[in-house]
Amino acid sequence: MEFSKFFNSTIKLNIILIISFSISVNSFILLPNINNAFYVLFHLTFIYLIFYHYHYYLYLVALVYGILFDILLLNNIGAHIITFLFLLMLFVLLRKYLIRLSSYQIIFIYFITLIILLVIEQFLANLIHNYKFNISSIFNFILISLIIFIPTIFLFIKLDK
Amino acid sequence: MAPKFQIKVFQLSRFVKNFTIISVVTLSFLLIFFSKTDYYLISGIKNLSSSVIIPITRFISAPVNVFSNFIEEYNQFRSLKFENKILQEEIIRLKKWQTLAIQNSRENNVLKKLLNATDNNLTLVKTASLINRNDTIYSKLINLNAGYEDKIEKNMSAINERGLLGKVIDTTSNNSRVILLTDPNLSISVKSISDGIFSLISGSGDGKYLVSSFTKDNKMPRLGDIVVTSGTAQIFPVDLLVGKVAKVEKNRFFVLPFVDFKNIDYVQIVTSK
Repeated sequence: MEFSKFFNSTIKLNIILIISFSISVNSFILLPNINNAFYVLFHLTFIYLIFYHYHYYLYLVALVYGILFDILLLNNIGAHIITFLFLLMLFVLLRKYLIRLSSYQIIFIYFITLIILLVIEQFLANLIHNYKFNISSIFNFILISLIIFIPTIFLFIKLDK
Repeated sequence: MAPKFQIKVFQLSRFVKNFTIISVVTLSFLLIFFSKTDYYLISGIKNLSSSVIIPITRFISAPVNVFSNFIEEYNQFRSLKFENKILQEEIIRLKKWQTLAIQNSRENNVLKKLLNATDNNLTLVKTASLINRNDTIYSKLINLNAGYEDKIEKNMSAINERGLLGKVIDTTSNNSRVILLTDPNLSISVKSISDGIFSLISGSGDGKYLVSSFTKDNKMPRLGDIVVTSGTAQIFPVDLLVGKVAKVEKNRFFVLPFVDFKNIDYVQIVTSK
């Protein structure tokens, strides 16, 4: 009981963040969509943490995961760190407008934010690191997002309860 | 009754919060800048990620790895009968080739002695096995279980039994990172065997083909021509097998690499003699 109190939802979400990060940076040749799914799950969790558990420690989280994603997936620092920090700063600026929205509107914005984040990362990877802007990869991410979005939201809401 | 956990929340002033945020943002932009200028701090971070973060992520993702291995074994088991039939036919064919190869090898040795030629131009530094790969999202990188303690250095070539794989981009004491040929950020200088056309090729981004970015005198190689390293950039040893020309367009051509990048177990790190 005491342990479960200590193990609050923020810590659980951070554990999900660590697991999804670990799986997304280890490629599985037979299951490439597992990597993509956990990559999308990482972004979903990170946005959820920003929207519902905002704390300034998230800047450090964005810094660490941004650097690690950039080094492990792109071999150069840039695309992920910029998008994560940009998202955090944008949230701080728009927070007063977001709290006025209904839960359905928030969910819609949550999904749109996820897609935009993934597209911006691809765009920056192309701009800074010369990686091809891959439309099929974007569609793959969108499809995975559509599949895992609702179950993930349910899971997160359950964790928060 | 056990004492209650009491977590004291350290209330920080607004100044400290703002200072942290500004520091993080500044640090990020400095890191992006240093990353572009190849500062030694970035190489330290890369080494740290190779030697510390990758083992941790491998440990955490171990259950998925077990599941992936199980699927692989199941697939292999399913195709066992069919593969056995193919292998039996292959054995018969290879036996014929073996006889011919032994004869050719003898002839080759005699001719080499006559010409006073050396056997090959490669020095094997280390044979290493793959520990993990990051080639699904964005870049095409693999990590090996050998580093500078095994005399592996940056820019050394990585090959396997089929041909050129890529080059070493980072080394730590026991690990090294190899960028694969299929990565768009690795360019190699190649020549076609039949016409000797020199060109630069790099990964096309789809992880399958290599595409030419520059061709000397705008000459295009023929379809099906074999492409090897030219050795002109002095990074890759000369005459390493790269691939076969699979498609020729007006200003560029596509090469299908000989190496099966999905099945890499062991990698040899080599340099020129």
